[in-house]
Amino acid sequence: MNLNFFLMDGHGIYVWSSFLLTFSVCLFLFLKTRKILKKLEKDFIEETENLSKEQFSDLKKQKIIKEILVSQSKN
Amino acid sequence: MIKFLNPSYIFYLTGKILNFIKIFIIPIIIIGIIFSLFVAPKDYIQGDAARIMYVHVPSAWISLFCFALISFLSIVNFIFKIKSLSLIYKSLAPIGLAFNFIAIITGSLWGQPTWGTWWAWDARLTSMLILMFFYIIFIFSYKFIKNTEKSSKICTTVSILGLINIVVIKYSVNWWSTLHQTSSINISGKTTVHFSMLIPLGIMLFTFLMYSALIFLMKYRIETIRVKKKGLKKL
Repeated sequence: MNLNFFLMDGHGIYVWSSFLLTFSVCLFLFLKTRKILKKLEKDFIEETENLSKEQFSDLKKQKIIKEILVSQSKN
Repeated sequence: MIKFLNPSYIFYLTGKILNFIKIFIIPIIIIGIIFSLFVAPKDYIQGDAARIMYVHVPSAWISLFCFALISFLSIVNFIFKIKSLSLIYKSLAPIGLAFNFIAIITGSLWGQPTWGTWWAWDARLTSMLILMFFYIIFIFSYKFIKNTEKSSKICTTVSILGLINIVVIKYSVNWWSTLHQTSSINISGKTTVHFSMLIPLGIMLFTFLMYSALIFLMKYRIETIRVKKKGLKKL
């Protein structure tokens, strides 16, 4: 691999910047989204733990709540 | 069929698909980079600068597609008041905005070596910039307006106006004399891009679509948990 591969006849700066920017934006969005998701899941579990036993058992009857709790325990 | 419309089943399914995409996304990204930087040939006029096409074009397509879909969903949601549709368009908007931003910046980086300028106020570039403002207004509308009905009304208005802008973006290169070239890839007409460049472009499009699906599913789970968290507070 020679230096010209990186320089690309003078176009390297534009090409590499484009790819770098694209993947940086994508990585930023991914990390930000993952952080929010993890935090929300954690907060949700904490809030359900603060519920009374009756409230919690009522809540667990909802299938979607079960799914959220199961998915969090898997992580 | 009813099973597929069940929110708990959808939530379960998003988890399964997420895990599947997480396994394949990195190899797909690597394949996409190899094809666009190593395998694809240089353009006979633009040289290596044409490689920017492999990130610029799929980004522009996805940002346009996302907004068209958002518009459709918000109009349907406004008419039929289907709550789950708002979860879908809220999950799509950040993806569309990110790719719109990428398309504008990479377009600017492509413009300098080919046109000799970073930016020109031509119809295609300006309408893409306007689309970014529509995305920002749309996201702000559902994030900061707490009244659901009012927010839905504003979102629908913004999406209808944005939809008109999508048509302007598509036909701007035909209606006006622009620096931006006319469409090289046509589904119904003649495609002027060589096969050797079309394959890496297709792979990069697939890569970006997989990434979009990954973010969409994560965002969808976020929005679903938010709704359920609100329900917890009412208990």
